[in-house]
Amino acid sequence: MKFELSPKVLMIVLVVLLALAPLVLKPYHITVLNYIGLYSMVAIGLVLLTGVGGLTSFGQAAFVGLGAYTTAVLTTASDLPGWLAWMGWSPWLSLVAGLIVTGTSAYLIGLVTLRLSGHFLPLGTIAWGISLYFLFGTMGLLGGHTGFGGIPPIAVFGYELRQGHQIFYLIWLFVLLAVITTLNLLDSREGRAIRALKGGMIMAEAMGVNTARSRMVIFVIASLLACASGWLYVHMQRFVNPTPFGIHMGIEYLFMAVLGGAAHVWGAIIGATVITVLKQWLQDILPAIFGQAGNFEVIFFGALLVLILHRARGGLWPILTSLTQRVVPVRAEQRQIDRNVEPLPSRELPSKGELLLDAREVTRRFGGLIACNRLSLEVRAGEILALIGPNGAGKSTMFNQVSGVDVPTSGKITFLGKDVTGKTSREIARMGMSRTFQHVKLLPTMSVIENVAIGAHLRGNRGVLSAAWRLDRQEEKRLLAEAAKQIERVGLGDYMFVEAGSLALGQQRIVEIARALTSDPCLLLLDEPAAGLRYKEKQALAELMRKLSAEGMGILLVEHDMDFVMGLVDRVVVMEFGEKISEGLPEEVQKDPAVLQAYLGGVE
Amino acid sequence: MKFNKALLAAIGLAFSVGAAHAQIKVGVTVSATGPAASLGIPERNTADLMPKEIAGQAIQYIVLDDASDTTSAVKNIRRFVDEDRVDVVLGSTTTPNSLAMIEVAAESRTPMISWAASSRIVEPVDDVRRWVFKTPQNDQHMATAIIEHMTNHGIKTVGFIGFADAYGEGWLEHFRTLAGLRGLDVVSTQQYNRTDTSVTGQVLQLISANPDAILIAGSGTPAALPQRTLVERRYAGKIYQTHGVANNDFLRVCGRDCEGTFLPAGPVLVADQLPDSNPVKASALTYIRAYEAAHGAGSVSTFGAHAWDSGVLLEAAVPEALKVAQPGTAEFRAALRDALENVSEAAGAHGIFNMSPTDHLGLDQRARVMVQIQNGTWKLAD
Amino acid sequence: MDLQIALILGQDGITNGAIYALLALALVLVFAVTRVIFIPQGEFVAYGALTLAMIENGFFPATMWLLLGAGVVVTLADGVSAIRAGQSRKVVGIAGVNLIYPLLLLALVWSLPLRDLPLAVQVLLTLLIVVPMGPMMYRLVYQPIADAPVLVLLIMSIAAHVAMVGLGLVFFGPEGYRTSPFSNARFEIGPMFVTGQTIWVILSSLVFIVALALFFSKTIYGKALRATAINPNGARLMGISPMLAGKLTFFLAALIGALSGVLISPITTIYYDTGFLIGLKGFVAAIIGGLSSYPIAAAGALMVGLLESFSSFWASAYKEVIVFTLVIPVLVWRSLTTHHMEEEE
Repeated sequence: MKFELSPKVLMIVLVVLLALAPLVLKPYHITVLNYIGLYSMVAIGLVLLTGVGGLTSFGQAAFVGLGAYTTAVLTTASDLPGWLAWMGWSPWLSLVAGLIVTGTSAYLIGLVTLRLSGHFLPLGTIAWGISLYFLFGTMGLLGGHTGFGGIPPIAVFGYELRQGHQIFYLIWLFVLLAVITTLNLLDSREGRAIRALKGGMIMAEAMGVNTARSRMVIFVIASLLACASGWLYVHMQRFVNPTPFGIHMGIEYLFMAVLGGAAHVWGAIIGATVITVLKQWLQDILPAIFGQAGNFEVIFFGALLVLILHRARGGLWPILTSLTQRVVPVRAEQRQIDRNVEPLPSRELPSKGELLLDAREVTRRFGGLIACNRLSLEVRAGEILALIGPNGAGKSTMFNQVSGVDVPTSGKITFLGKDVTGKTSREIARMGMSRTFQHVKLLPTMSVIENVAIGAHLRGNRGVLSAAWRLDRQEEKRLLAEAAKQIERVGLGDYMFVEAGSLALGQQRIVEIARALTSDPCLLLLDEPAAGLRYKEKQALAELMRKLSAEGMGILLVEHDMDFVMGLVDRVVVMEFGEKISEGLPEEVQKDPAVLQAYLGGVE
Repeated sequence: MKFNKALLAAIGLAFSVGAAHAQIKVGVTVSATGPAASLGIPERNTADLMPKEIAGQAIQYIVLDDASDTTSAVKNIRRFVDEDRVDVVLGSTTTPNSLAMIEVAAESRTPMISWAASSRIVEPVDDVRRWVFKTPQNDQHMATAIIEHMTNHGIKTVGFIGFADAYGEGWLEHFRTLAGLRGLDVVSTQQYNRTDTSVTGQVLQLISANPDAILIAGSGTPAALPQRTLVERRYAGKIYQTHGVANNDFLRVCGRDCEGTFLPAGPVLVADQLPDSNPVKASALTYIRAYEAAHGAGSVSTFGAHAWDSGVLLEAAVPEALKVAQPGTAEFRAALRDALENVSEAAGAHGIFNMSPTDHLGLDQRARVMVQIQNGTWKLAD
Repeated sequence: MDLQIALILGQDGITNGAIYALLALALVLVFAVTRVIFIPQGEFVAYGALTLAMIENGFFPATMWLLLGAGVVVTLADGVSAIRAGQSRKVVGIAGVNLIYPLLLLALVWSLPLRDLPLAVQVLLTLLIVVPMGPMMYRLVYQPIADAPVLVLLIMSIAAHVAMVGLGLVFFGPEGYRTSPFSNARFEIGPMFVTGQTIWVILSSLVFIVALALFFSKTIYGKALRATAINPNGARLMGISPMLAGKLTFFLAALIGALSGVLISPITTIYYDTGFLIGLKGFVAAIIGGLSSYPIAAAGALMVGLLESFSSFWASAYKEVIVFTLVIPVLVWRSLTTHHMEEEE
């Protein structure tokens, strides 16, 4: 057996190294490590926000400032208003106050700016980042641009952390906590929802994820990490003024995250380390090369960053791991699926023949184009209905109307007897409809089982806090067991732990079906599931669908492959140019002249 | 990385061997980049000209840039005291940076000589500030000179426009207080940013308040923009600037629009016009010659002279401290601090320093003169 | 506040807004063609203004060395890849554009009596020095990763910005410069007056905007750029090289930047680090235009200019706070009215 280290061992080695550092290293190196720790915390927040969640923020420095200023003001205030005086502000209380102030501000800022889409968001963050920075400077209460000192050090059980090596442990304890909670969070039900934000929003919503809420969650968490960093900073520095919280620092934090590898939590620490050490080192080395002038660091720094990103777009962490992997192989933690866990409760399926979906006269216009014109269809429990038609007939548009991804211009859609027209895909998913996508929407870097587990989002309820502190493990086991069951059911049991992006396109479509099944639907919408499959695979898929419908599930299917459709489905609806041209049993439809016209260009 | 560590260690070893008994280490942190660069660069240039040897002891200067940022300033001073084990720290350029550094100086019991303006850096001389000295005149010194000049010229109302940073803020605070004491009415206060491309809004506010005079508190060339806009808008009253503008770049940018402007400044700005009896003249001219020899005629600025003056203080104090202890020891640093506190009649480029346990600046009225801009040059005003 | 003050502030806002508008156009153009959010746009403003200032003061413009340096690196990079591709003949052309041109220009600048040249020639020299840096920058910074996600390109932009500001400090020093105006005329209209330079700024901006519009609608290169912006793959199939499109775009962006710098440097003092905030405000305007609409971006630029001017009158200490806070509702509005295009990254 090959020798491999477990990640846990590595973690312990890291903790031991950190614990020993102050005994071995020189005081100044500890100072540098302290700054690396402070920067790392902010950068970890950015990894969560930018690298994982896809929200670029230039404003994190302002949150650091909020944390710093809250504690600085509260711990130095000599005349607190009466209703606060009883607290006698110790730094620990002001940490709580800072977290509340920052969290609330982030929530309010997020309410406005997180609605911004695409490139509006980074600019929004620049805007409030600059605003807050100037506010710090102009508010007299905060000591203006000059700032103020006399801030007490943090005390732990009466022991004051004055020196660099004393606060060192506290800083790195915070960093490790940040790393562990973030890693825990990402490996959970909420975490999968967060990881779906970047590049999978429509899919996540269709699986019942409240993406707006997930965005807010990571925004607030990132702000709290920044706030804690500011709190530590100010009690280490014992002086506060606005310059460390300006937009330039906000940019630098983003640098750290991207350079280290924005998609990896450990990358944040690597990025913070490289940038801090490099700056220090350049200050020593460059004057020796260029003579006296000290302006060359930034130039060199900018050029170096360009070069590194040319070579390593994903940052340094992936390179580093692939290099060290050769020397010290680290075992990839493989998930254990606990099959004995109590299965998740499943939905009572409607009795066979009951009306599930009733779409009446659904019309969707895009400007002048009518993609869907007064289309009606219905699906009953235990029935497989195929929606067929030439390319561009409007089948996928109809799918989007039914599943709530899009809103029809007119018409009415009833699902399980309730009007769902205009409802979000999330609400509809909760009612028991699930779907796959014509253009596969998997998260390619996540494993198959993680992708499939997103489908089970609505079947769990453990939130962010329990995920961060691992109180969600029992539920997590049940979710993963369910995902594993569905993966095996669709016949991909061998691929459970591989990256979804590495599968063939046909297999990816099947993974989408497993994901949809994991949400325990009573109506399944499949958009061209058989495309790219081989004959045997198609047969297996057809078998699966027959089985599902026998259990009472309704299936609405869009498909091109006539052979596949005709032998399988109960009824067929044929569309052309956005309109229904025929409906009925497969063999009836096959003979319909209108259909032949559409498919074969007409009969003589 | 490993190689560099080894290299640094080797260098460190080489120094420590050489330093066993004949080297004083001076840590210098300046804001050579960032918003305060126009002040920091002449200071950094001056660091090259400071004494290389005092009382037979070689002086080693370690110069770091803090990019006008407090975090870097504190990082730098921590490096000086922890890694380089310097005997004295010089800098930094700006008030916030210096204020942020004083805790570390006191904690490590290392004397520090700041090059920033605010009196808060050295006042009151408490447990922390025992270790801190500074060379630039306090803002109050300069503000008093302006206010005196204003009241002598029959000015009753003043408008103020200053940088939205520590410099402008310090000036506003002291100017407003002192003006109130002298019965001057500050009728409008405005702020602007160093890199603003237009101050029309602020200037219109100032003009509509119709003050007898306007004080512009900015440093270097950015202080020219309000003045040019005022002139463009045909403001007829007197215009005052602060000593922050005292370099030739300001004259170049402001041009004709600055004719007749008054400002307080250290005597170094007009050293050649001082009467020979003035005790500052000789020492100021020494600095100017040294600086211009290295950087060209007309390149000198009063900010570099603050740095120079800290060299003057060291020259006065180091020989005393050497009598007590060897450099590189805590005793030497304490002795140096004591010696700095006892410096008397040291002639710098900006004035004569007389330190005391309650005054860690030690400058008096001789450290400032009123200057007027005439024909594009600085003229000593009476 | 009376009408007179409002008029003066309005004039001031429009002048600044005209510059922001030019920059916003450049930013929209660059983003549309290359997906690069071009933060260093502001540095070209500063480089343009300060290079002109150096020439005017009779100094040898230090940006010349940067041009030469960048030229050498581009020659090496392109030359090596040309030789590797077995197209050694191309090397001559590459060296001609990137090496011989800066050398000739260097010789010219060296030999001319810079201070005594007419202003127009000084401006021309400035443009000859600064503008070619645009395409060179594209070649060195962006071209190697032209297909990277927007975020990575944005980080590249910031890295380039940081390096250029650092170089600016080395080249020009910390103090600012102001160049002599194109015209000393001064027109009094009732209570307010307009300087000749203001008219220059506004007219030049207008002329340039019209010229750009003509360039895009009439010339083959302009049409190629538009095609690339709308559909890069389609444009590539039609034989429009994305590399050429990128270089051309950056040429235009650098030209707009340097020209803006030359235009405003007589009105205000320019520093080595002025560019960032000016560029940022142009960027705000560009974003208001959704990084796609030229007319809305121009309108946004005027809005930013006016907002800035009026808030500096009402609450000078809070000027930036007001400008950047009020931008947020506009962004929200734009964001809601723009069709939500999800997840292209």
